[in-house]
Amino acid sequence: MPIVFNKRDPIYVQVIQDFKEKIAAGVLQPGQQVPSRRELASQYKINPNTVQRAYKEMEAEKLIFTDGNSPSRITEDQSILKAVRREWIDQAVTDFVESIRPIDIPLEEVMGMIQEKMTHSENQPLKEEHHD
Amino acid sequence: MIEIKHVTKRFGRKKVLNDISFNVQKGEITCLIGLNGAGKTTMMNAIMNLTPINKGEILLDGNPITPQEYNRITFIPDATIMLPHMSIQEAMDFMKDYYNVWNNARAGELLKFFRLKPEDKIADLSKGNAAKVNLLMGLALDVDYLLMDEPFSGIDLFSREQIADVFTTHLVEDRGVLITTHEISDIEHLIDRVILLEDGNVYKDFRSEDAREQEGKSVIDVLREVYQP
Repeated sequence: MPIVFNKRDPIYVQVIQDFKEKIAAGVLQPGQQVPSRRELASQYKINPNTVQRAYKEMEAEKLIFTDGNSPSRITEDQSILKAVRREWIDQAVTDFVESIRPIDIPLEEVMGMIQEKMTHSENQPLKEEHHD
Repeated sequence: MIEIKHVTKRFGRKKVLNDISFNVQKGEITCLIGLNGAGKTTMMNAIMNLTPINKGEILLDGNPITPQEYNRITFIPDATIMLPHMSIQEAMDFMKDYYNVWNNARAGELLKFFRLKPEDKIADLSKGNAAKVNLLMGLALDVDYLLMDEPFSGIDLFSREQIADVFTTHLVEDRGVLITTHEISDIEHLIDRVILLEDGNVYKDFRSEDAREQEGKSVIDVLREVYQP
């Protein structure tokens, strides 16, 4: 399933973001094998060199690891997994706060709305942002 | 690597290519962009030695290209070269007999990838399918470099998408691709490098990921600055 890329951020950065999101959400599990460079390029409809670059960066950030010649896997290092999740939540909260800040609304009211939304959405599957 | 070094080409008194230099690397997709008359097709013809150049040189892995070495490069023009009365299968058989670098297995895979029916007559194909057949004939050759002139021109959106997708697969493998197109938005996310030709000069030579990373600009943003200053 291809993800929708924006045209102004480096594509390799967007691939890493996508991986982080999937790791944080548990769509990609610790130790799970990642697609080959060519497979991911075909899935995401991007240049294999871009995937290569994203994998290289993720390897350097220890998000994925490779043992010898076997395919790369998602890290099993709990501290890294926690950090990815933390970073993701932090970013989401920051984005939310920034978007709501210009509006004059008491914190308690916002908190109530968040609570309501979250309980409501628990009964529904998470909305996927992907397109066919 | 194909190196284009200080190439100048004149038609009469008009300089169509003026001291052009750039490289086409293996394993990369390089896109030659320019308005009509910027010299893109002339540049491709010059690389293929279909038109003599007045100055400069064109090297393959550091040496002038010998006639034999032209079987490492293929040029896919924007018009179908096959005889229209042939079926796709007959055209493929013809290619197989004619070129010793024809890769039949890959041809079969391409046929499936493009969802083409081998029994269909070339004359009866839609423009989009004719473009796919044209591309198939070039991609099925075991060559190191592929030159494509306007593979997206004049065809429908879905055919363009399908053609763009082939670049992300193993069917293009790690070959060097030089492509000219007006439809840059179709392949913006696919290309490694952009060579911007303007009035026979290389106006800009940049990596698309660098433009995004260093300037926060899409390839089209960079082009817009040139054409709509």
